[in-house]
Amino acid sequence: MSFDTEVGDIQLRNPLILASGVLGTTYSTLQRTYEAGLGAVITKSIGPRSRIGNPNPSVFALQEIRSVINSVGLANPGYSIFREDIQILNENKIPTIVSIFGENKEEFLEVLNGLKDLSVLAFELNLSCPNTEKGGTQIGTDPELVKEIVSMLRKETEIPLWVKLTPNVSNILEIADAAIKGGSDALVAINTLKAMVIDIQTKMPVLGFKRGGLSGAAIKPIGIRYVYDLYENFGDKIPIIGVGGIYRGEDIIEYLLAGATAVEIGTSLGVAYPENMIRFFQMKIKKYMKEHQFNSIKEITGGAHR
Amino acid sequence: MTKQTLPNDKPLMGKIITKELECEDTYKFLIELPIKAQRALPGQFIMLWVPGVDEFPIGIAGFKENILEVGIAKMGPGTEAMINKQIGDLVGVRGFYGKPFKPPQDVNHLLIGGGFGMTPLKLLTTTLLEKDSKQNIHVFEGARTKDRLMYLDWFQDLHDKDLITFHVCTDDGSYGYQGFPTVDLENFLQENQTPSVMYVAGPEKMMKAIFNIGKKYSNVMDMQMSLADRYMRCGFGACSYCAVDPTGWRICVDGPVFNTEQLEQISDFGLYKRLESGEKVRI
Repeated sequence: MSFDTEVGDIQLRNPLILASGVLGTTYSTLQRTYEAGLGAVITKSIGPRSRIGNPNPSVFALQEIRSVINSVGLANPGYSIFREDIQILNENKIPTIVSIFGENKEEFLEVLNGLKDLSVLAFELNLSCPNTEKGGTQIGTDPELVKEIVSMLRKETEIPLWVKLTPNVSNILEIADAAIKGGSDALVAINTLKAMVIDIQTKMPVLGFKRGGLSGAAIKPIGIRYVYDLYENFGDKIPIIGVGGIYRGEDIIEYLLAGATAVEIGTSLGVAYPENMIRFFQMKIKKYMKEHQFNSIKEITGGAHR
Repeated sequence: MTKQTLPNDKPLMGKIITKELECEDTYKFLIELPIKAQRALPGQFIMLWVPGVDEFPIGIAGFKENILEVGIAKMGPGTEAMINKQIGDLVGVRGFYGKPFKPPQDVNHLLIGGGFGMTPLKLLTTTLLEKDSKQNIHVFEGARTKDRLMYLDWFQDLHDKDLITFHVCTDDGSYGYQGFPTVDLENFLQENQTPSVMYVAGPEKMMKAIFNIGKKYSNVMDMQMSLADRYMRCGFGACSYCAVDPTGWRICVDGPVFNTEQLEQISDFGLYKRLESGEKVRI
């Protein structure tokens, strides 16, 4: 039995990847999470210049639905400063995927060119952050723009490009198709769902930015549905990476069965101790593979499409 | 129903029931929460939401049933807005977060603080005094002037009742001896060879200096220091804006209180912190 995973040409020791936005602000949390047993890690989304993000509260838990709402708003130090963290990850041989964003084509290009000389497993294009005024979701909901950006970046590097899709669209297949036509090497689904919390005592939105994005257990069935749909339509063309609400090993299996080649895990690793969670995930996957006589992760992928 | 601790959830709205000037620019607030919890542990913190303005981490000075005590000094727009709140106003509380101070048995407890660092040390003092056996408690506090000594009357009263020994000093000599808390601290460590544990909270540069002093004395069994004075967004481990290098420990869940062995491993300690963007800068 093996956990070995291939996402296109990328070899991973297992299909568990740290999702962008959680534990990804510094090389040391990324390294810690990888060493706890992940296949790879993805950095916090990095843009062209330093951003302080949105005012607090910008992240809090919603206990009843085991979820987290956030409006961090792409706070990041900018690629020229974050390079140093990636360099340390390179030196320590941590398989690192860098999430990048821009408000327009030019900014995406600037960030990619500013980092492409480093040892990066893949660039994940964050076309789908709901927490900014411009860019992010706005780009990720326009198929023409998605195609244009992906194909432009495609010409600049041999490093695989993964496109992270937003669920906040009426037709995700249209966007996925545009990403594939632009030359994307994998599709990642899903980013957070648009969400909001209002305090009924003070009658005020709680998030400093008022609106935010929901992650955690509540969004898992939505992620499963999107991965299932994407696999049905594009499963023979491109690997799909499932993300959204993984809290238990069973959730990982579910994503694989829906059609995921690998999964990204964020919220649950951040809320708990990543070391414990990853151990539980691995134990559960092993047990499932044994019970259902799977020898490889690849055999599980798409198993629900019969 | 009395819960073990508060749930990690959206802000729990509490009502301000007391507001008093504690010392210069610093107010004591009592906040009544709608849920009872067993206890808050010394060194733990809350995320305090001032609706419509900001949310920030703040140490817990006291907690009983559902009444929370915090001390707020003017540090920025968020704390200023809190200071402008009145009795009856609602504020949001998330927590209790973080790992607490862990006082062992049969040692001299040396509590050393400056500024709002006195907040968790007040709760630690309360907790130590609740123990069945009498504890040997020494509190070392320093400030620029008498007006800036936090909880001066509270600690002085405990000293006068012979429950603690209060070593108090000011830069200008307006109260206590003139100088720094480290003077009395070192005197104590030189004169008392019995095992001591130091608990420190305050500005990180000050803590680093105290850490270096503590290392010189073999009778110091452990130093527990609270690194809570850092930028935080979530408070429960997800965002990692408070993480320290090279260990990847998150101040909010792996800390804020770290022991000697851990502090030795944190190369950022006393030297670097992160801004809201995640950029690392010198303290």
